[in-house]
Amino acid sequence: MGTTVNGTPAQIGADPATTAAEFVRDGLGLTGTKTACNAGVCGSCTLLLDGAPAASCLLPATALEGRSVTTVEGIGNGAEHPVQRAFAAHDAMQCGYCTPGFVVEAAAFVDRHRAEHGDTAPARDEIADALAGHLCRCGAYPGIYAAVASACAGEHDGAAESAPPRTEAAEKASGRARYTTDVRPEGCWEAVIVRSTRAHAHVLGVDAGGAHHVDLLGADRTVRYVGQPLVAVAAPTAAKARAAAEQVSVDYRDLPAAADPAAARLPGAAVVHSTRAERGAAPSHSEGFVPPARWKDNVRGPFNMGWRSATAVKRIREAARRGDDRLVTGVFQTAVQAHTPLEPHACVARWDDAGDLHIHVSTQAVAALAEEAAERWELPRGRVHITAEHVGGAFGAKAGLRVETVAAVELARACGAPVRLVFDRAAELTDGGHRPASRTEIALLADADGHLSAMTMDAYSDGGVSVGGMVTTLARLMYGRGPRRLRDFDVVSHRPPGAPFRGPNGPQLLWALEQAVDDMAHRIGEDPIALRRRWDGNTKRHALYDWAAALPVWRERTAGAPPGRFRRGVGVAAANWMYLVDSATTIELVVEDGTVVAETAVQDIGTGARSVVSGVVADELGVPAGLVRVRAGHSDLPYAPASTGSRTTASLGPAARDAAAKLQEEARGRGAGTAGSGRLDAAALAALEGLRVRGRRRRDRRGYVTPFALPDGGTIGRGFTGAVHVVEVEVDTLLGAVRPTRCWAGISAGRIYAERPARNQCEGGVVQGIGYALYEQRRDDPLTGAVLTANMEDYRIPGIGDTPEITVHFHEEGWEHVTGGGVGLGEVSTIGVAAAVGNAVFDATGWRPRELPLRPDRILEGIGAK
Amino acid sequence: MSTPVDVPAAAAALRDSTAEARAGGTDVMARLSEGLAAAPFTDLHRVRELRGVEWRADGSARIGAMTTVAEIAADARLRSAYPALTATAGALATPQIRSVATVGGNLLQRNRCPYFRSAAFDCLQKGGDSCPARTGDHLHGTAVDLGAACVAPHPSSLAAALLAYGAEVQVEGTEPRPVGELYDGSDSGRDHVLEAGALVTGVALPVPAAGESAAYRRATSRSRAEWPLVEAVVRVVRTGGAVTEAAVAAGAVARTPLRLPDVEQALLGASGPEAAAAAVAPVPDLCSPLPQTGYKAVLLRDTVRDALERALEPLEA
Repeated sequence: MGTTVNGTPAQIGADPATTAAEFVRDGLGLTGTKTACNAGVCGSCTLLLDGAPAASCLLPATALEGRSVTTVEGIGNGAEHPVQRAFAAHDAMQCGYCTPGFVVEAAAFVDRHRAEHGDTAPARDEIADALAGHLCRCGAYPGIYAAVASACAGEHDGAAESAPPRTEAAEKASGRARYTTDVRPEGCWEAVIVRSTRAHAHVLGVDAGGAHHVDLLGADRTVRYVGQPLVAVAAPTAAKARAAAEQVSVDYRDLPAAADPAAARLPGAAVVHSTRAERGAAPSHSEGFVPPARWKDNVRGPFNMGWRSATAVKRIREAARRGDDRLVTGVFQTAVQAHTPLEPHACVARWDDAGDLHIHVSTQAVAALAEEAAERWELPRGRVHITAEHVGGAFGAKAGLRVETVAAVELARACGAPVRLVFDRAAELTDGGHRPASRTEIALLADADGHLSAMTMDAYSDGGVSVGGMVTTLARLMYGRGPRRLRDFDVVSHRPPGAPFRGPNGPQLLWALEQAVDDMAHRIGEDPIALRRRWDGNTKRHALYDWAAALPVWRERTAGAPPGRFRRGVGVAAANWMYLVDSATTIELVVEDGTVVAETAVQDIGTGARSVVSGVVADELGVPAGLVRVRAGHSDLPYAPASTGSRTTASLGPAARDAAAKLQEEARGRGAGTAGSGRLDAAALAALEGLRVRGRRRRDRRGYVTPFALPDGGTIGRGFTGAVHVVEVEVDTLLGAVRPTRCWAGISAGRIYAERPARNQCEGGVVQGIGYALYEQRRDDPLTGAVLTANMEDYRIPGIGDTPEITVHFHEEGWEHVTGGGVGLGEVSTIGVAAAVGNAVFDATGWRPRELPLRPDRILEGIGAK
Repeated sequence: MSTPVDVPAAAAALRDSTAEARAGGTDVMARLSEGLAAAPFTDLHRVRELRGVEWRADGSARIGAMTTVAEIAADARLRSAYPALTATAGALATPQIRSVATVGGNLLQRNRCPYFRSAAFDCLQKGGDSCPARTGDHLHGTAVDLGAACVAPHPSSLAAALLAYGAEVQVEGTEPRPVGELYDGSDSGRDHVLEAGALVTGVALPVPAAGESAAYRRATSRSRAEWPLVEAVVRVVRTGGAVTEAAVAAGAVARTPLRLPDVEQALLGASGPEAAAAAVAPVPDLCSPLPQTGYKAVLLRDTVRDALERALEPLEA
């Protein structure tokens, strides 16, 4: 069977099970086409079939017969398509994994639109309709809107006049950017993980037949959730590996299970972790240290971080007794949120002849992983080589040595060949990590003067077999010093473990706290922003409150729920987060081929780490961006932090500046540069060829909160980042849909190193927060705990049409004590969004939502539709 | 694998083997990866005569089974003659699914119940003896009981639209049958009643009605690209400003798409959008929801109402 791909004839194989995506990726090596959901939902695999976009993951390769196929590599007929330039210019991407699919669809749309309407920008809704079949987990939709509109208007027909805001933008928009899932060394074997089909069982035996395999089960030979890895098998092809996996037989002795979190708390429920050792080994969904707490059956806790707890409890009890209307109480619940990065967990491992270990892995912690791998396989650190050139999203789920790496490395040794292991989407949505569900009981009491008199919070985190709930702990850090009892519990059940997720515990806390504060403002008849400004001692956030209060949307909002089917409402929420830094960060600059190359191990998971480094170096040296290159994503390069805890930019930026200063000093010393000034032009760089300098992350003035680095390399710095989100929604009271229309995101994280990527990340934070508020919910079978939303059709993340118009405001003052003046914003920019949506829904309808997500059925029930 | 080039060859290939027919492949390939379908297939992409719209002398259309959803949505003559059909076609799935999915495949696709789609569960559709969704999670399940123990709603939006037109389905070697007879709401084991090896060749629509206005609405969480919680297809034909014929079909609420004759009756003589609210009032009483699908009774009523209010907008002069 013949077809034509990007103008070149190609032959299709006869296997009826092969998809068009497999044909172009594996058969032709055109890896710009990505497969992420494998269900026709996310659009990453989009290609053009006789000019019309088609989802190639569900398209039989045989259907390409006689057709003309265009992949991202063929868009623009070998030249750059205006859409690709527009995506780069408007920073319409973060991790870039979905970008080729968007580009292919957008190119077809732009060409059609211009042919029909000339060079005019289409309406937002038209763009949303055209791109409805694409999902971007990073939430880079505002940039995508702008890119498509301006490409339609003919603004990107010529080469760009300036470098794009994101260093690697052209690679991502063209499909050239290589991710772990695109790596396939010569002779590479494929691996598949066989997972438990039982919620709780002793595994008496696993028979992998003759297949190469590695055991993944712990020493206690017990499985505790459906989907738990048992064994991984490898074979020379993917089909053979799948066949080998199907041949694996497992001998289970079933044990009673507590697969439902409510049932897990009942007397007599099966106990998930029964011994001290098991409890100690329970996985954690929090970042860093999990404080010790006592256990009672399946409940762990409380861990109390309050102060004057007894006073707080006494005041609230008395207020309840006297019916004080300044006592606000409520129970707020959140759902399990899956990270579901579009690039799944993936690893390609290889042992070379000298015994060195080479690992390509989709990770957010290249340098740390090299340390862990060296320890695990007892190798000198220098003999472990981790590569993560591009990472297709992570959000917290890809830190540390995880099962895909363990299995691929072990199998590579067993098979004597490179081994590749890629999670399928069901595994990703089951065992790839999630933000635990939560139930928070909150009480706030204001005194006669309207000051916070007492606060109590009990939060129960539901992270399956994992622990680490520190929801209320974060409430210690907001709203002054009033007495408060803050108790955290974990309820464990026979369901998959959570993982740290962008601002761990933050959204759960703020969903409860920021709605309760809103409720209080209404009780005492005060503007919700004004009340927060009074209660909140953070001066940087004061500036954000002033900014928010002055917004026309806030000043002109009308009180009381308006009549009619579509009701508009505006809500606000504040957020607070820690500032972390990795003080061991180093960056080297080397003058190479007349350019400055910055070397750092850092992975770029879509946050723009490369852009931060290249921007700082170019600025400091006064050279054009084109003369600075960044070599990153490899553990042989100088140490860089994990992209966790919003620490990357605050660590890299100053190290890059320090290195640039040293380069300049060296240049000056050698009399290079314009009149020996150290300002580097091409001639000066030629004279410095081969020069190498090393920059460090210099210590902050006034030092840090923690005197030593935590085990993950992080140090808690002084000061808190802040956010204030104002969200406008429109509630369709007939059909129960909530549409976020506009959002203003005020962020206090000091100096912004790379404006457009930073703004992009804040916009994405809004999009993820909207997903959390309105759509995202892992659903499990109550009997077995098996994940039912194991595909991206049933697990619903926001699309481009769900994206409000977003305005990001940076308040840059207040971080002068920090070297470089700027800190991280990845987490603080998302954690308060859902609460702002909740407050907006209350404003629109007069009904206070308490349980996430705000599905149509809940809206209709809440507003009393009959 | 066989790739016949004409209808007789395709019919013979399907009759003589157990290979499932594969049209656009969007459902078959998803089931293949879920372990619910197996190669080989009888690929229909070479059968050119199954693709396209044919207009008959009486002004009615016949749509070939391999015509894509996108082609239906974009066909100007179809839009003028059968506006409810093209509106439905343009609203389902996503552009890159609509461009390959076919009308025949849409009618015969399997349900979306996660228990059916997951290898971890047995169910009535897979030869099991009970429905795990009924006792488990059925938030998206049926709300109108037609006698089946299975609680998976029928997923075909086009079936609801074609039902609203009283269209007929053409199956090679048999007499045409009304689209409603493709489905059996009391059947828990199958999503359509055709025997294995049957070949749908097309759908035949009746003569278009002059003065028809139509609307399609679906209730979802997100703005786009989501299977409906409930969906409604409405057609009204007005003469002298008053409704003389009405068709209302509902999807995603029962094991089959449904017509709502009580609502249709109540619309006769109506002249504007204000008639919609009263006409839909009986809808919740037609429902028999499961514990988790009570919301669908109200949501169906109001989705139908929304569609009717749009369809009953005054006609432009």
